[in-house]
Amino acid sequence: RYVRQLQRLQLLFSPTAADARGARQFVEEAAQDFARQHPDVVLYVSPHSGPGPAPVLRAEYLNGTVREELIASKTSEEIVQLATKLANQSGLDIIRIRKPFHTDNPSVQGQWHPLTNKPSILTVQGPRWQPQ
Amino acid sequence: RTALSTAPPPEKKRWLRAYLEVQRLQAPPQRRSEKPNWDYHAEIQAFSHRLQENFALDLLKTAFVNPCYIESEEAKRRELGLDKDAVALQLQDNTRLGDQGLRFARAYLAQCFEGAYPALPAKGVEALVNFLTSQELVSYVAQNLSVQDLALCRDFPVPPDVLQRTFLAVIGALLESSGPERTGIFVRDFFIPQLIGKDLFEIWEVVNPMGLLLEELTKRNISAPEPRITRQLGVSTVLPLYFVGLYCDKKILAEGPGETLLAAEEEAARVALRKLYGYTENRRPWDYSKPKQALAAEKAISSN
Repeated sequence: RYVRQLQRLQLLFSPTAADARGARQFVEEAAQDFARQHPDVVLYVSPHSGPGPAPVLRAEYLNGTVREELIASKTSEEIVQLATKLANQSGLDIIRIRKPFHTDNPSVQGQWHPLTNKPSILTVQGPRWQPQ
Repeated sequence: RTALSTAPPPEKKRWLRAYLEVQRLQAPPQRRSEKPNWDYHAEIQAFSHRLQENFALDLLKTAFVNPCYIESEEAKRRELGLDKDAVALQLQDNTRLGDQGLRFARAYLAQCFEGAYPALPAKGVEALVNFLTSQELVSYVAQNLSVQDLALCRDFPVPPDVLQRTFLAVIGALLESSGPERTGIFVRDFFIPQLIGKDLFEIWEVVNPMGLLLEELTKRNISAPEPRITRQLGVSTVLPLYFVGLYCDKKILAEGPGETLLAAEEEAARVALRKLYGYTENRRPWDYSKPKQALAAEKAISSN
């Protein structure tokens, strides 16, 4: 069955900084709807007062990876889109895909090895030996 | 520069920063419950939604309590000098739920395998069930379902046998809240995919495959197999390759490769056993659809 890989989202922002305006709007308007639509993700909202670090959305996944995305100067809709994107990801590292194709069954009739299409010893005809 | 959100405020002295970074990296791993932003009740609710199951929350909370946690808490309270009444915690531990879960999981998996591979003998079914309920596998599944964050235990990181017991207690809690059918579907969805890509004889150690094959053939009244060399390559080299075929009444049963003649014969016996038990690589994949009895029951209820 499908198990959502996102465990929890932590929204860390400051209640007074100018670049956290989108984060504050998200918390006021869209955070509850997001939490209701994703009941298996725990959403923590922690405002830290005073001038502090930039507003950040931290996502923790089931395999332990923690991903931080800056949400400074983003609108509320963009933060919703970002949160849904993180919720649909798995926690695997984001690396370059080496090949754009993959099969689970690389060979249908069996992979060739030097003994395919060679007759076996039991049916080999020699100069005097006749098969029965 | 990395973004430090909840780390201690960055030091103003430049020459201290490297030392503090080294200290931070060498600190022992901490439980998630001791780091900021943790709500146990919300996490447990999210856990039950993530697995798409309805749990009775108090049963689930007792399933996560381990006996070592209760002992360590009582020891701490005794050290703080509380009365004996206050020392005794009101928590139940998960041993009863764990035993229930283990018994149900083993019985259900044995039933599954007997239905899917009727030719497999009892020892084979037992070996498969033991592999699926073994410590490494269950603790691997539990760790990737975030059980190690929610389990209350004395040591951190949680040892694998505690993880196994906690996950089996979760299964026991599900059994008591939702009944055996839903728990059976849960066990099927999380344990049986661990068999994908695994060969029967990787899981089940068989010392004498030829003897086992002879027993199986006598049960089905087929004559003893006759081994013949089918193909051979590089006989006089360092790495010879022999293909030995097993023939019963001059009809081929199985063919297996090997480095020496004895190894090839043993491999051919193993291939023959795999074919007889129906555990080949090209068998039908496991059926994960909804059980038909439930569908029939729903139809009966909706038609009435």
